[in-house]
Amino acid sequence: MVPSQEAILAIIFQALTNLNLERDASSQVPLDVDTALFGGASALDSLALVSVISDVEMAVSDAVGEPISLTDDQALSQQVSPFTSVRTLCAYVLQLTHERA
Amino acid sequence: MPGEVYSGRVALITGSSRGVGRLISEHLLLHGATVLGFGRGEATYQHERYRHFQADIADPNQVLQAFMAVRREFPALHIVVNNAAVLTSQYALIMAASAAKSMVDTNLLGAFLVSREAAKLMRKEKWGRIINISSMAVSLEPMGDTMYAACKAGLTVMGNIMAKEFAPFGITVNTLAISAIETDMLRQLPQETIQEVIGGLPLPRPAQPEDILNVIDFFASGRSSYITAQTLNLGGVH
Repeated sequence: MVPSQEAILAIIFQALTNLNLERDASSQVPLDVDTALFGGASALDSLALVSVISDVEMAVSDAVGEPISLTDDQALSQQVSPFTSVRTLCAYVLQLTHERA
Repeated sequence: MPGEVYSGRVALITGSSRGVGRLISEHLLLHGATVLGFGRGEATYQHERYRHFQADIADPNQVLQAFMAVRREFPALHIVVNNAAVLTSQYALIMAASAAKSMVDTNLLGAFLVSREAAKLMRKEKWGRIINISSMAVSLEPMGDTMYAACKAGLTVMGNIMAKEFAPFGITVNTLAISAIETDMLRQLPQETIQEVIGGLPLPRPAQPEDILNVIDFFASGRSSYITAQTLNLGGVH
């Protein structure tokens, strides 16, 4: 089953929500497609980013019924890093799940 | 040991079908845990709180599939014991590459993958105990154990680094290096060699089940939250 863009966005927002539960009120990560995940504009440190990727990877794998890796060589070879923002991550997951279908 | 101290805990044991894995599995079941066993073959015993997953941890895809199945049934995972291991004892000069690779794949890569996937689940509860089963071979460096001992040494280093990475999630990672205990694996080795090794230990006797279970209980305890990246050797080996 290929999840819709909306379903993938919901998975990413849930991962950010999980992260926000661990952060204080002043450092909440906005649930927005333009939220930066990686790079200078991101509010996430490396551990937070790893946590989000791990949550998304697990939830997408469970949704499609087979293991999906977001951090293999394919991810690293993308022209734009999939982890730049919520939007790029969503697009990359969508691409991966369509390739698998 | 009092009552059901593991009640409400979900523990995953690799190589749970026999030997030390089965010993630990039955101990945790006896004291109230739900035990998930990973093994290459079918279950060798049954218990109302034992759930067997047939998976070869040397195969990354089988590990991922097994964890997907785990997540469908169990929302939480508290304890992992990386026990599964394969051993080919042979002089390095004539060790087949396939046998050496098999030890790396099961004893090191398998433990890595299981720990990684387990930590993703443990992170949600901010609580976890990962216990790696190592061997006195790391310290004693016996001839014939080049790859086995190297893998077990790698397991310790891997555990120590994971201890740092997983600490923010409330997950501890420790290593228990066991000395000789009567198992199928030990029976593969020449008995004279085993007796010689045991005779040279500061405590010159084989390990007993209680020696192992005592340390498992210690590392798995809620009271051991400040104990991580530690290796405990049995029998006075160091």
